[in-house]
Amino acid sequence: MRFLMGVLSALILSSAAAAEPVNTGHLTAELVAASQGVAPGQTVAVALHQKIQKGWHTYWRNAGDSGEPTKITWTLPPGWTASDFTWPAPKRLPVGPLTNYGYEDDVLLPVNVTAPTGAAPGSTVTLRAVANFLVCADICVPEDANLTIQLPVTANPAPADPLWGGKIAKTLADAPKPAGLAGAFEKQGEVVKLAITGPALKGGDLAGAYFFPFAGTVIDHAKPQAIERGPDGLTLTLTPGYDFQSPNPPKDLGGVLEVGGKAYELTAAPGPLPPGASGLGPPPVKAAAPAGAANLGLASAAAFALVGGLILNLMPCVFPVLAMKAASLAGHGGAQAEARRQGLAFGVGVLATFLGLAALLIALRTAGSAVGWGFQLQDPPVVAALALLMLLVALNLSGVFEVGTSLQGVGTGLASRGGLAGSFFTGVLAVVVAAPCTAPFMGPALGWALTQPPAAALVVFLALGIGFALPFVAVAFLPGLLNRLPRPGPWMEVFKKALAFPMYGAVAWLVWVLTVQVGSDGVPRILGAAVVLALAAWIAGAAQRRHASGRSHVGLAAAATILGVVAVAGGAFWPAYTLAGTTASSGEAKLDEQAYTPEKLAALQAEGRPVLVNYTAAWCVSCQVNDRVALSTNAVSEALKRNNAVYLKADWTKRDAGIAAELARFGRAGVPLYLVYGAKGGEPVILPSILTEGVVVKALDAAGKAS
Amino acid sequence: MTRFLAVLAAASMIAGPAVAAPVLGQPAPAFQAVDAAGKTRSLSEFKGKTVVLEWTNNGCPYVQKHYNSGNMQGLQTQAAKDGIVWLTVISSAPGMQGYLTGPQARQWKGEVKAASTDVLLDPKGTVGRAYEAKTTPHMYIVDKTGKLVYMGGIDDKASSDPDSLQGAKNYVTAALADVKAGRAVAQAATRPYGCSVKYGSAD
Repeated sequence: MRFLMGVLSALILSSAAAAEPVNTGHLTAELVAASQGVAPGQTVAVALHQKIQKGWHTYWRNAGDSGEPTKITWTLPPGWTASDFTWPAPKRLPVGPLTNYGYEDDVLLPVNVTAPTGAAPGSTVTLRAVANFLVCADICVPEDANLTIQLPVTANPAPADPLWGGKIAKTLADAPKPAGLAGAFEKQGEVVKLAITGPALKGGDLAGAYFFPFAGTVIDHAKPQAIERGPDGLTLTLTPGYDFQSPNPPKDLGGVLEVGGKAYELTAAPGPLPPGASGLGPPPVKAAAPAGAANLGLASAAAFALVGGLILNLMPCVFPVLAMKAASLAGHGGAQAEARRQGLAFGVGVLATFLGLAALLIALRTAGSAVGWGFQLQDPPVVAALALLMLLVALNLSGVFEVGTSLQGVGTGLASRGGLAGSFFTGVLAVVVAAPCTAPFMGPALGWALTQPPAAALVVFLALGIGFALPFVAVAFLPGLLNRLPRPGPWMEVFKKALAFPMYGAVAWLVWVLTVQVGSDGVPRILGAAVVLALAAWIAGAAQRRHASGRSHVGLAAAATILGVVAVAGGAFWPAYTLAGTTASSGEAKLDEQAYTPEKLAALQAEGRPVLVNYTAAWCVSCQVNDRVALSTNAVSEALKRNNAVYLKADWTKRDAGIAAELARFGRAGVPLYLVYGAKGGEPVILPSILTEGVVVKALDAAGKAS
Repeated sequence: MTRFLAVLAAASMIAGPAVAAPVLGQPAPAFQAVDAAGKTRSLSEFKGKTVVLEWTNNGCPYVQKHYNSGNMQGLQTQAAKDGIVWLTVISSAPGMQGYLTGPQARQWKGEVKAASTDVLLDPKGTVGRAYEAKTTPHMYIVDKTGKLVYMGGIDDKASSDPDSLQGAKNYVTAALADVKAGRAVAQAATRPYGCSVKYGSAD
């Protein structure tokens, strides 16, 4: 009875369909054809279709650490031929400490079947094959199926099969193909570097790139493949397999590179790695990062920028300038209209400067310069000039000389003048000195802005400017606020002199930034210029007093001007500063730190060590605060040791394309940025911009535990 | 006190995962494991003898190919004649395919008439991970001086089909012949094939 049922069902199936699916226990296998028939001499695609049970998988041509690739043995009528499988790109299938390569759910393994020229149209050909495959979940079961497919032989090429034609065509289109990629590999100590370059990789997002080798013993499949990008391609850090222990190490490294949803076939030759395959650090992290700005909308970026701008008012280098300006507004007493005009002029000065800086920044980036926010302070002459400018402001506050009375040509004179131009330049000055103090709020907003079209970027910078100008303009426009400011009086002189000291502090800080950039050779030069400038200021003050008492002051004023010009020119611009070597590091190394390079990071990751990377710059105030408060502490030092972690410092005090690229990858336009890479590799954890010791220690412990 | 504990914890973390990947020509990773009789065995006790390590899982079709055909027992018998120590290692975790208790391992050894010196139980996978054993079977040969001289597959036919034994080149036989003759092993590292070793989770 059972036998009869079997015969009956077989008859029904064979008459209803050209191919019979076979359930082998953990998958259903069948042969399917891309076209409804085959013409004499024509080649058509026929695929082994595996519909695999959930949780089970079959294997790629290199099965990985265990398993066995699917095999097919054809029995064909005379003259008919079938090619090997065209293997679709596999999936990585981790099993405990091992990794296999294979397929889940549903897979088509196409072959090319070619009909002999003598095939008779009108007949039907039966293609037979035995498929052997290992199906595994946590356990493995070898299964096999006897499969047949019947295809009509047609006089002319037949139309595509409605069910399978499209699917097989897509499988063939997506299958890994050579794409003119050049590969070179080299064993470097404990790792094998594989450098791949080619047009397909240029400018691509290389995140998640992975190399599937054809041979089963050239690399350790289970180890992570650290990615480093270069202008022409990428370099993968692989862990060598058995073959590299052989007296005859591999002569080539063939396989499939999967990147960005595409798969390419390539064969790498031993030899030196091309320089274009590295130097730009690992690829960008996907938007999932919590502090990542990539998914920040325009509205929230603008809101962040507005808040950031407000906070900038409190920066030590900005506050004295604004406080004095506010006090002078109060001096206007009831003259509301005058106060408003002053406030507006200041606001316009701030906005114009922000937009000017933004436009410059966008233009530079479009032109390919690796600059970010704070770039103004990456040039020693700018830093030196700012230091001297701050010194003049401070000396003015100390009462060494007055401005706005007679010496109107001197730079800060513009900022202290009572007129509208004075208010405008106060705005300019405030922005220039505030720019390096990128408050933590502004990091994501500016990072987002710089990845956007220029118009959106300008909106964000405009919001920043509005936030920055807001308190002062508000004071000018709201009579209630203005009236609340204390009345002018003798206290103002004292207040003014007290405010000079934060400015002296700012000078000291800028001098330190300069020495980090140019080395200790810059110290006598900038300090000498400062002394000459102070002398000029003192002479200018004397000239003003003579003028006030009606005596001739022309000689003194001329001497002051000449000395001032000499000081600024010699201190800042001529001769040009030479940048110090890369060994100059900001601050003392309290932690056992190493200088960041992408190669070092990749090597440490390959060693399986957790890594803390600190992207910092001497001119970044919040970086320095974090460094003192949260990084250079005993607890962090112990956490580093305890987790066998390495502390890398990426110093952006001077321009560095590699570091700028890394910042961009995490959606930042400036420092600080703190990353912790786990011992198991993979994408790093981004720490908050305002660090606490606890956060760092916790992140390091988590990173170490991963091993 | 907390500081002392922290130091202790740090020390134990350093001591814990001291894993060196097996390297040909280097001393084979030392290990201790309990055998089927419950006795603790170590690699060092066999110094002066050639040792074969065979990873196994009696539920694995590739292992079954070699045991059901008598191929593996044949190798073990020959090895015993040559004074070679043959240790069969089970790294399957409890609950995983191939896991055997001591009595079960003794029973299995009797049923398949294995001629191995001993069966070692490695349910935590410590020995397996030290050798980076990937498959069952996965074969290693340690020479008389304790150096690793072979690691890889049992033969060149990566299949569970018993017919594939016909005409297969047995790498272990060849390597043991090289060792016996005092030659360097010609094919010292080959691709192991079979089921994945059924390790438990890392902790």
